[in-house]
Amino acid sequence: MEKQQLLDMYGKMVEIRKFDKVCVDLTHQGIMWAGFHSYEGQEAVAVGVLSHCGVEDYVLSYHRPQGHALAIGSDPGKVLAEMIGRLGGVGGGRGGPMTFSDWENRFIATATVGSGVPIAAGIGLALQNKKRQGVAVAIFGDGAANTGACHEGINLGGVWKLPVLFVCENNLYGEALPFSKSTAAEHISDRAKGYGIEGVTVDGNDVLAVSKVAGRFIEKARSGDGPSLLEVITYRVRGHYEGDPDNYRTRQEIDIWRRRCPISRFRKYLLEAASCTKKELLVIEQQVENTIQKAKEWALKQPVPTVEQMVDDERITAR
Amino acid sequence: MNKTERKITYAEALQEALSEEMQQSEEVIVMGVDVGVWGNLYGVTKGLLEEFGETRVKDTPISEAAIAGCGIGAALLGMRPVIEIMYIDFISIAMDQIVNHAAKFSYLTAGKAKVPLVIRTQGGVGLSNACQHSQSFESWFANVPGLVVVMPSTPYDAKGLLKSAIRDDRPVIFIEHKKLYRSKGLVPREEYLVPLGKSFVKRKGDDVTIVVTSWMVEKALEAAEILSKKGIKVEVIDPCTLAPLDKEPILESVRKTGKCLVVHEAPKTGGWGGEVVSVIMEYAFDYLDAPVKRIAGLDTQVPYAKEIEFKVVPDKERIVEEVKKLVS
Repeated sequence: MEKQQLLDMYGKMVEIRKFDKVCVDLTHQGIMWAGFHSYEGQEAVAVGVLSHCGVEDYVLSYHRPQGHALAIGSDPGKVLAEMIGRLGGVGGGRGGPMTFSDWENRFIATATVGSGVPIAAGIGLALQNKKRQGVAVAIFGDGAANTGACHEGINLGGVWKLPVLFVCENNLYGEALPFSKSTAAEHISDRAKGYGIEGVTVDGNDVLAVSKVAGRFIEKARSGDGPSLLEVITYRVRGHYEGDPDNYRTRQEIDIWRRRCPISRFRKYLLEAASCTKKELLVIEQQVENTIQKAKEWALKQPVPTVEQMVDDERITAR
Repeated sequence: MNKTERKITYAEALQEALSEEMQQSEEVIVMGVDVGVWGNLYGVTKGLLEEFGETRVKDTPISEAAIAGCGIGAALLGMRPVIEIMYIDFISIAMDQIVNHAAKFSYLTAGKAKVPLVIRTQGGVGLSNACQHSQSFESWFANVPGLVVVMPSTPYDAKGLLKSAIRDDRPVIFIEHKKLYRSKGLVPREEYLVPLGKSFVKRKGDDVTIVVTSWMVEKALEAAEILSKKGIKVEVIDPCTLAPLDKEPILESVRKTGKCLVVHEAPKTGGWGGEVVSVIMEYAFDYLDAPVKRIAGLDTQVPYAKEIEFKVVPDKERIVEEVKKLVS
């Protein structure tokens, strides 16, 4: 991979982390009211997978969508404005932190678990029918992997050889339930065989490992060879939602995973194996800090929509 | 019948709508369980696979959530999918997709995304299919902003409304009735549309208004005929689109007759008829000569036995009887 590409990936991961911190603070200040689900610790997944996506591609995310949105290039100010319910948000402030879409960037997050998977299959079907180059990427959690919709959607993708990448972002907990108590299979990717598609599990805290497999699978989908199932093992170091009781795991476990921070790990790689300098990284970190601070200032200045603006006149007032 | 019309069945009318719309736009595709080779249980999609090929007429696995989700995804990219849920009873499995996603994306994107999806399904009693294949769920959907709910009662309406539904940018729940597929009616040879969101007067009369949907329209018209011989003139209104409801023709009729009966097949409790009654109470109370009356399905399950299946839903005798009470 080119050095600049690596630096871009690093910058994006830092951007997602800094953005997350802003959201945490705004939650504690009562400005982001509810529904914020931290992405801290999972940045390598968003960046590793979605840095392969371009203007032809579509992303179906879930209730922890902000990292995915930033990874595909959504404007952090507009995403933040959406997450605090402001008119300037990507969806006019209608969706909030877990239910937002940035359709201009071909991005949708659905907040009923597992529901995005069949929708991604449908986007894949349209891309296939229209003979377009794009792929649909469905990202869902380990909890979603056990829903009927998820199973139905992946199965359909396999049967119709749709240009879709199914990504199970396994952060080892579905809300408070550990993966071992929700799933008897060792790996979600083991299920790929049952769908007649290829499945691989990778270390989700290693952005280059994620990127390598995701890149291959996306190219495969793009060239008409059908979908794949990529499982990435990662960990959410904060609560399921910000402020949850976090009484379902030990402090030690969290600390172990904090030490496996994907950003620190990538930083070390860049310095030791990719001939990057501390100064280069510092410049990126400062640029990102500026971007996020400006985004925050802009978002906070956006007005709250009025009820009239929230009401979809065509569909609701017509009743 | 003149040269520009012919008598065809409700199923044939629906098939024509699909075929015509598929000819006019490549974006129109049909998906569902056994819509291709089999051509749907009632022949509604017969011949489409041969005419349009399997990229546009897609037999799906029995995966209602995936059928609906896939329809939504394709619709988001500008296609106009017509998906089929074979029995409305099975729509429960696709409910999340329809209610939480199809109905929401336009709102959540401030109108930037559209979901021009038609969900064809069929409900009601009539074929001894028992309680998991015979229900009437229209009120579930009428209570979800963002969805259009359509229930055609004649071949003419079925064709014209389905064509309009396919061209509409909103998700439409298009509920057919299993007892109507073989009923025949006049349908123009020339292309026509029946607009969504319009209530239609199916028979004119000055004495009593009946607001009625789907298969029950046939029953209400038969009852009106019987009553006319006794000098009672019934006005029959078929809303066709239950949501958003075109209230004015109903209110105009009630202002004239002062008496109203609402008839549907779904169970009475929480049924869509309650909405019609409320609309009348809100906007035409001063014109009423008697309380608005409802005749609906019994609050019970649809039985299997042929001898009693039809006893849990309204029939023309019951309608005649209630109208007589209203005018007495």
